[in-house]
Amino acid sequence: MRFEYKLMMGAGVFLATICIIYGFWSQEATGTVLLLFGCAAYVLVAVYLLMQWRRRQGVDRPEDRMDAEQSDGAGEVGFFPAASIWPAAIGIGGIFAGVALIYGTWYWVIAGVFIFGGVIGFTVEGEAREE
Amino acid sequence: MSLIASAPLPATHWGGPSGITTFAPEINRVWWVTYLFAIPIGLIVIGLITWAVIRWHRRGPDDNRRPRQFQYHIPLEAAYTIIPLVVVAVLFGFMYGVENNIIHVKKNPDVKITVQGFQWGWRFTYPNGHQEVGSVAAEPSIEDVQNLPILRMPEHETVQFTLQSDDVNHSFYVPEFLFKRDLIQRVHNVVDVNVTTTGNYIGECTQLCGTYHAFMRFRLLVMTKSAYNTWYRSTKPNSITCAGGGNC
Amino acid sequence: MSATQERLAPPRAAGGYGPEPLLEIIPSPRPRGLVKFITSTDHKQIGLNYMVTAFAAFLVAGIMAELMRTQLIVPDNHFLVADTYNQLVTMHGTIMLFVFGGPFAFGLANYIVPLQIGAPDMAFPRFNNLSYWLYLGGFVVMMFGFLTNNGAADFGWFGYAPLTEAIHSPGPGADMWVVGIALTGFSGIFTAVNVITTVFTLRAPGMVMFRMPIFTWNQLVTMFLVLLAFPVLTAAMALLWCDRHLTTHFYAPSGGGQPILWQNLFWFFGHPEVYILALPYFGVVTEVISTMSKKPVFGYKGMVAATLSIGGLSMGVWAHHMYTTGAVLLPFFAALSLLIAVPTGIKFFNWIGTMWQGVITLSTSMLFCLGFLGLFLLGGITGVMLAEPPLDFQLHDTYFVIAHFHYVMIGATAFGAFAAIYYWFPKFTGRMLDERIGRISFAIIFIGVNLTFFPQHDLGLRGMQRRIFTYSSFEGWNFLNLLSSIGAYLIGIGTLFTVINLIMSVRQGRIAGDNPWDGQTLEWATSSPPPEHNFELLPPIRSERPLWDANHPDQLTEVGH
Repeated sequence: MRFEYKLMMGAGVFLATICIIYGFWSQEATGTVLLLFGCAAYVLVAVYLLMQWRRRQGVDRPEDRMDAEQSDGAGEVGFFPAASIWPAAIGIGGIFAGVALIYGTWYWVIAGVFIFGGVIGFTVEGEAREE
Repeated sequence: MSLIASAPLPATHWGGPSGITTFAPEINRVWWVTYLFAIPIGLIVIGLITWAVIRWHRRGPDDNRRPRQFQYHIPLEAAYTIIPLVVVAVLFGFMYGVENNIIHVKKNPDVKITVQGFQWGWRFTYPNGHQEVGSVAAEPSIEDVQNLPILRMPEHETVQFTLQSDDVNHSFYVPEFLFKRDLIQRVHNVVDVNVTTTGNYIGECTQLCGTYHAFMRFRLLVMTKSAYNTWYRSTKPNSITCAGGGNC
Repeated sequence: MSATQERLAPPRAAGGYGPEPLLEIIPSPRPRGLVKFITSTDHKQIGLNYMVTAFAAFLVAGIMAELMRTQLIVPDNHFLVADTYNQLVTMHGTIMLFVFGGPFAFGLANYIVPLQIGAPDMAFPRFNNLSYWLYLGGFVVMMFGFLTNNGAADFGWFGYAPLTEAIHSPGPGADMWVVGIALTGFSGIFTAVNVITTVFTLRAPGMVMFRMPIFTWNQLVTMFLVLLAFPVLTAAMALLWCDRHLTTHFYAPSGGGQPILWQNLFWFFGHPEVYILALPYFGVVTEVISTMSKKPVFGYKGMVAATLSIGGLSMGVWAHHMYTTGAVLLPFFAALSLLIAVPTGIKFFNWIGTMWQGVITLSTSMLFCLGFLGLFLLGGITGVMLAEPPLDFQLHDTYFVIAHFHYVMIGATAFGAFAAIYYWFPKFTGRMLDERIGRISFAIIFIGVNLTFFPQHDLGLRGMQRRIFTYSSFEGWNFLNLLSSIGAYLIGIGTLFTVINLIMSVRQGRIAGDNPWDGQTLEWATSSPPPEHNFELLPPIRSERPLWDANHPDQLTEVGH
């Protein structure tokens, strides 16, 4: 995780530098605030990655080692469900939420049904894999 | 070099105008320097690509050669990092002074005119309050330029335009000025223009401002100082002239 | 309905570079047909969903362009009225950028990135599926604007306030534009989260970051930019929606708002957006040139550094779109904008270095890459011109800018997409596209693009402004507009050849096999199309071209890693 952390932190530091130069030179509020928030976003992720790195106590994962063999990656890789209806349900909800912004408040009801139902189904499906 | 740079320069402007303001020579010089770098670099890159394709293309489906698998050449890579850096630094140097000159405004210009844009026409207000107004309402067709509002200005004098918008964003552009500035509400835009030759030109709005953006044009009439002063003295203070006659 | 993948430790194959088998323990039921389209969380299916939808959007926006060019073919034309023209110009830009350019690249990322890093899928498969629905929904919502009374959005793809305020743009068409862009924006953000997490956490053993293919690197940097830029766009759109519906005054001057705030917010998104539209396709071009020249990518580390520099610098140049507002710090933006030409130049020289002394197969995908190089070179040079304020004061909002951005966008985005199609179609479908039809398509499109857009440089210099639905006959713009429109029709015809090629080859193309191009990266190390969890066997990863190393162990990279 160390290189990934450096990548994100590098982006954050770069934005901070530009932010400082731009802020003092231009005295313009919008750009300075945007650059500042951009920097904060990357630093946030970088700090998370740094914590992940620390948690591993500096032991490289197989994908960070130059000489790793494919067998080093043995074991469960992750949860990859082959098919699921719930994202489509949530998606329809999202679209109706958008339509609500165009045509009126009552579309939020339909959107809400799809989003709540979808999120519940999504979560239950994730728990089902424990079996 | 300066003799060439102030000539009409068909090569850098192709079919376009080469500029009628005092800034035209400086702007043309920036064009020249840009071309001086752009054309050789472009030709070199195209040449290298063409050469590579001609010299090293596969001779047919039975050509199964595999080439030398090199991947690095640090001196070469350093060269094509540093040389472009120098080129852009030079370009920046050449144009930095020019941009400052163009946007500079004097405290005491010779003439002050307020330019106001609206959907879809122009209103020019002179120091004595006289206004020239015109809009799309007086243009039955895009071919019709007889009924456009007329902006009159003297040559060889610093004319300061204060640019304001009544509603949405517009932009004030005369191609022969080689210059434009936007009309944005709550942005205080003031520009100085000093035109070196008389003539009749068309100005246009270049910022999409709604349905009849294409019709939002005006006529620019650059007059000799004496002709301008004669005309100015003939206008009544706070009067309004509407392009196309009638009421605005 | 879950599937996990187990990597067992089998005995090493004799001879060093033998691949080691992976075994799938728990097979899952595979849906088919429409159910598969809706519910599949397989990154390959979702990637295809994106790419097919995006290509359809390209055709739709292309037809809009043909209509516009027909209106402009002669002066004072009455083929379209002003309102219709303005709607077309807005939607053409909006669809090309938000529905074709970005999403086609996201589709490619979805399909190819997990394969190139040896992963079984994306990190969040169901979230991936959701991203596609939000994208499709956004596209449909914004198109519905055409069916409303006031028509679709008609204020240009960058929708400057106050023109977008309710009093100047009444009707739901504008709101549909806002919501459509917000939905596609969320889709992009979710895709970015997915891709970044996948690259950070699901790489195969030995696939360190500096062994990832350049395509994956470019997609990664693109996703960093998406993460920065799209939330800003969404925020700007939210403020616009509030102004339109809630009597707030963020942009409306009458209540104390600042129209220029919109421009700052929009372009802070807008400039990274155009690099989001270019960087993935730089990645495509790198892959194709490298494979077709049978050489490793020249200056790999320089390429990575250049990509990171372009990504970083692109975040600091937004106001070069606003030089003529009189409200920006010119030298800061001019300096950074000129600077961004340097890493782009480095990439160009690295591409040439990759071809240099290679054995270059001039397949259709390679032809599109060569076309990209030519077009992007000219577009990049005109970009340097526009980066200089004294020149931009003259050229801004004229056809010169239209020429510039079409050269770079068609060069990178469109030609990159076509190159990707001709290169990876065998992997997606197991069949080859017809190379003869492909070459004809390329030739017609390339001639058409140059005929359409080269004259537009001169039109801009002559003062023709952007976004005008007609012009007068005495301006001196007639002949160039005629040439431009003829070129546009040629582009349409050339594209049609590729569409025919696609339709024919899906059923009748020559069978491709795993690796028809002797590709160097891992997506070619599995069947065409790949099985459900991508890889039966993975070769050991000791460089950025593990498949080449496995197939040609006598020809590894010199002075290697």
